[in-house]
Amino acid sequence: MTTAALVRDLGVALAPDRVRAGALELALYERDASMLTGQASVVCFPTSAGEVSAAVRVCRDHGRPFVPRGSGTGLAGGATPLGQVAPVVIVTTKMNKILEVDSEQRFAWVEPGVLNLDLSTAVAHLGLHFAPDPSSQQSCSVGGNVANNSGGPHCLLYGVTSAHVLAMEVVLADGSVVVLGGIDPEPEGLDLRGAFVGSEGTMGIATRIAVRLTPLPPCVATLLADFSTIHDAAAAVTGVIAAGIIPAALEMMDATIVEVVEAYVHAGFPTDAAAVLLVEVDGLRGGVDVCTSDVEAILKAHGAREVRVAADAAERAAWWKGRKSAFGAIARIAPSYYLHDCVIPRTRLVDVLDEVGRIASSRDLVLGNVFHAGDGNLHPLIVFDRRAPGVLEKVHEAGRKIIETCVAAGGSLSGEHGIGIEKREAMDLVFTEVDLEAQKWLRDAFDPEGRCNPEKILPRGGSRCGDISSLPPGAWV
Amino acid sequence: MTLRLDPDELAACVSCGLCLPHCPTYRATGEEMLSPRGRIAAMRAVDAGAGIDDAFDRMMQTCVQCRACETACPSAVPFGRLMERTRQELAPRSVPAWQRLGYKALGSHRSLVGLTVLGGAAQRAGLVPHALARRLALPKLPMRQARLVPTGVDVWLFTGCVMDAWQRRVHESSIEVLDALRVGVALPGPGAACCGALHVHAGLHDEAVRLAGRTMGAFPGTAPILVDSAGCGAALKDYGHLLGRAGAAAFSARVFDIHEWIASRADQLPPAIDGAPRRRIAIQDPCHLRHVQRADSHVRTVLRPYGELVELADEGRCCGAGGAYSVLQPELAGLIRTQKVAAISAVEADVVASANPGCSMWLGAAGVPIRHPMEIVADAAGLHRRRWRPGRDRKMSRWLASSGKFGSGWKR
Amino acid sequence: MKDALRSFADQIGSEGPVAVAGGKTHWGVGGWPATGTKEVAAPVGVVAHEPAEMIVRVGAGTTLEELRSTVEEGGQFVALEADDPSKATVGGVLAVGLGGYRRLGWGPVRDSVLEMTSVTAGGEVLRSGAPLVKNVTGYDLCRLFVGSLGTLALTGEVVLRCRPIPEAETWWVGEGADPFAVAAGLYRPLSVLWNGIHTWVGLAGYRVDIEDQARTVLGRAFRPAERPPPLPGRLRRSLTPRDLRALPSTAGVDRPWLAQVGVGVVHCGEAAAERIGPVGPPSSGVWDLHRALKERFDPAGRLNPGRSVSGVAAGAGV
Repeated sequence: MTTAALVRDLGVALAPDRVRAGALELALYERDASMLTGQASVVCFPTSAGEVSAAVRVCRDHGRPFVPRGSGTGLAGGATPLGQVAPVVIVTTKMNKILEVDSEQRFAWVEPGVLNLDLSTAVAHLGLHFAPDPSSQQSCSVGGNVANNSGGPHCLLYGVTSAHVLAMEVVLADGSVVVLGGIDPEPEGLDLRGAFVGSEGTMGIATRIAVRLTPLPPCVATLLADFSTIHDAAAAVTGVIAAGIIPAALEMMDATIVEVVEAYVHAGFPTDAAAVLLVEVDGLRGGVDVCTSDVEAILKAHGAREVRVAADAAERAAWWKGRKSAFGAIARIAPSYYLHDCVIPRTRLVDVLDEVGRIASSRDLVLGNVFHAGDGNLHPLIVFDRRAPGVLEKVHEAGRKIIETCVAAGGSLSGEHGIGIEKREAMDLVFTEVDLEAQKWLRDAFDPEGRCNPEKILPRGGSRCGDISSLPPGAWV
Repeated sequence: MTLRLDPDELAACVSCGLCLPHCPTYRATGEEMLSPRGRIAAMRAVDAGAGIDDAFDRMMQTCVQCRACETACPSAVPFGRLMERTRQELAPRSVPAWQRLGYKALGSHRSLVGLTVLGGAAQRAGLVPHALARRLALPKLPMRQARLVPTGVDVWLFTGCVMDAWQRRVHESSIEVLDALRVGVALPGPGAACCGALHVHAGLHDEAVRLAGRTMGAFPGTAPILVDSAGCGAALKDYGHLLGRAGAAAFSARVFDIHEWIASRADQLPPAIDGAPRRRIAIQDPCHLRHVQRADSHVRTVLRPYGELVELADEGRCCGAGGAYSVLQPELAGLIRTQKVAAISAVEADVVASANPGCSMWLGAAGVPIRHPMEIVADAAGLHRRRWRPGRDRKMSRWLASSGKFGSGWKR
Repeated sequence: MKDALRSFADQIGSEGPVAVAGGKTHWGVGGWPATGTKEVAAPVGVVAHEPAEMIVRVGAGTTLEELRSTVEEGGQFVALEADDPSKATVGGVLAVGLGGYRRLGWGPVRDSVLEMTSVTAGGEVLRSGAPLVKNVTGYDLCRLFVGSLGTLALTGEVVLRCRPIPEAETWWVGEGADPFAVAAGLYRPLSVLWNGIHTWVGLAGYRVDIEDQARTVLGRAFRPAERPPPLPGRLRRSLTPRDLRALPSTAGVDRPWLAQVGVGVVHCGEAAAERIGPVGPPSSGVWDLHRALKERFDPAGRLNPGRSVSGVAAGAGV
């Protein structure tokens, strides 16, 4: 059937002014915050679960795949429209209401388009917050957090999104609506809620989400430690964990990153440091005091030149703003970046950072590191100008080496950004065919016809062990 | 046709999306078409040869040019500059004759005052259709305004176009506050009738340059030029860039937002009059004060002695006024204003302070009790009384009474 | 351990009904395995505890007691509970998937699982997750398997998250206090239990914080307790946290029950369970998904035949 008929039927299912097929508008939805491009046939904006379901049914009737999309801040191409035929992009940004806040039972029902930080702001007066805090939290939606099982600095202590979703209303690929999970702790049957979280929009569209709200800590202390070598900083991270302390957050930034974020936030980061650790401990006053002095002693014992404790909320906010805007601020060095997201065993930090540094320097690439050191979640950032001749190949090659290095160190492909398109062809570096087949069973059980966000997560099939040269070229810029 | 934008400036956007929630049109709609990230992507597409069509034009014309995206952008993309340049290229196809006529009127103070009197008479005779009045967000236009009287030569006060024609009382308050600081105020001649900000926004570059040149000529000497309109202040401070001349940059360096200038002398501000109740003052940050001049903290410094300051929870998001925006894009502007009004209602303030005439008219039309910070200071410190003449006293009292939402404390 | 896993897979093979037997502390949950079902045992023993990584790799047949004593040496613990830790096995606890008294503080069982190595219905070794504290690589089969009663795959080895042993864990008991107000007033309590008359509170963390909370929130209504109370019965019900308030009237105070305040789990015997009523079945749409999963993971229905994940919560104890 033609796209015109598809537009017409979607217009009937939703409203004509919320269904778009203009060339310019489609172009804006051909990618997310990654540079991986696809092609959409239609973009539509439902405002209710009923409309999502109706749109999905229209897609089914027209034999079209569909791609759910929130704010489009994903970095792995999860919301990039791909398919045998150009998919319909179903955008949830107009579904942005906080439906119910239950402060007694500490949860909220929200629509998927509610922004992560808006939710925390809206419940702050109740002494509560939504704990997952990805760096994009001001822009990213709760629906996107569910799709990617998003993390963030404070997930070290509080856990990733999966630990904060109680239930979801989901529109499946056939347009039917189911509720997964429940407000009660042990709903009957399998944990389909847990299986759905992190499925990157390939198993349906969440149209209503019950999220856990976490009490705001009564006391917070944020420490900033600077080190003259990355080794010392990495050893200090291991030291903190080895001492049996799990801070609320434990972040590292290297000299390259510190310099650009300081230019943006003017937060007083030491720009002559080789590495900076941002450590946050929270809880009750007494414990925070004990923990702060313990952490301070450990950092100093591992060679910290100086350890500062944020004097007030404003200073703490400025430090975090610096940390969370690192990826964008990097454009001050060069206009393109390729941001990696790998996890490694914490104890391998020093070797892997060394090797990652060598990979970049041997190719004359500028590389910065800003990452969740506490849980070994690396974010090497390669900065370059894509207009320079030959640079893409070098970046491409460096990216592949970084993945291989992390996997060889016992690591995994992604800690929080997801696989999307970006890393699906690298999946067989960490999984066997049997493993991948079983993952496909799960996906197929939810979407037997493969119409929901196709060509994501799982490799395109066939054994391709270790061959990641087949990555789409966009994956590396 | 291309936009001839600086490729480095365009390339600086990495599409991270951190700007999205700060953009008033994205907030109101959730659509990439109406977001800074989308607009930059579209600019890139046009410069790569995609061609300009109506959809592109609409994307650009729907931008309020609040520049909140610049504050939010970690990559320092100069979005305002890209948008002004784009509007300039689009102007020949996008700004119809009737609009050009309107912009022209702003530059001629005499015709503006004439139109004001005509409009005021029409309002009083009930000749202005309700729908039109609402669309234009017109306040009750003054038929007669007292002349401003210069008080010295220490600083200039920029008087501007619409503000002087419709809100001269704000200038009066500014002069009164400066008077209390023992600062003599000089007033410019008719050459300073319009700063050209709206012309820059509309892409009418040549007209903007003409007005800038004329404005600069109206402020001889080296005395600081104080501006009590955030939008005008931002424009005057940008003359260096607009005209690209050293003389213009030197002129821009003399320009201060009035709060910015007073803030460094805040210790000399007169005390609030005895017994006056402390009001809850909500701060509405005009975008061009917060995101362009980055002088929003000074308004707080100046107001702090006179009330309890209340912050809105929307991180200073735009109100939708945007110079001529509320007239040209009434639907979007209305959606944006609804969100702003909700944020204002949530804090339950006695009065809202706004340092920009456009914002105060636009929000005032929605029933928000809004006043300029200088008026609030002059009222709270009892400065009006000092210079009031008997004839005007009555009128001022009536005006204060008619704006009744401020509570009895403001009516004296 | 690779050999142990291999032989585990060999025992399971690719044909015929099969189930993994652990300590059989909850053997009847979800139904008894059909007659003729072959029982195999999962590998036993802690393979490696890496305190610096805060992970432990352990054979699914290992008892919780053995796991605890090994991990404790590194100053850590694993957030799994069972009423008989000397018999209950890691694999069994994960297959049933239900937590104990400390769920309020520890979170659900599934949050402790980082990697599972299982054997599929086809007899092949299947790994899901990764031995890392953070990971979103691929679909989360671990969460699907926890609580699946071995009906989708049979787990032989797991990697679990370890946590540092807190400076102190103390229990308190009081009478007459409003348990809901107590739970709301405490910051990150380990457990708040209520039987309609008494309230037990578990606190863990820094000693200074515990003393502070005991003084400011618990007050004189509470006195130290040796340990939490024993289970009132082998059954459990899952209610919303708010619905617990009505328990004195719905379950009655004369029939023993013990509610996890702030969580919603009610431990009880048959009498109270009957009064509270059965757990509602999943909706038909959700049930269709269960069937679709079973068809794909175990088309011949050979894994734990006779068992169903419906009714799990109702039939299990701690």
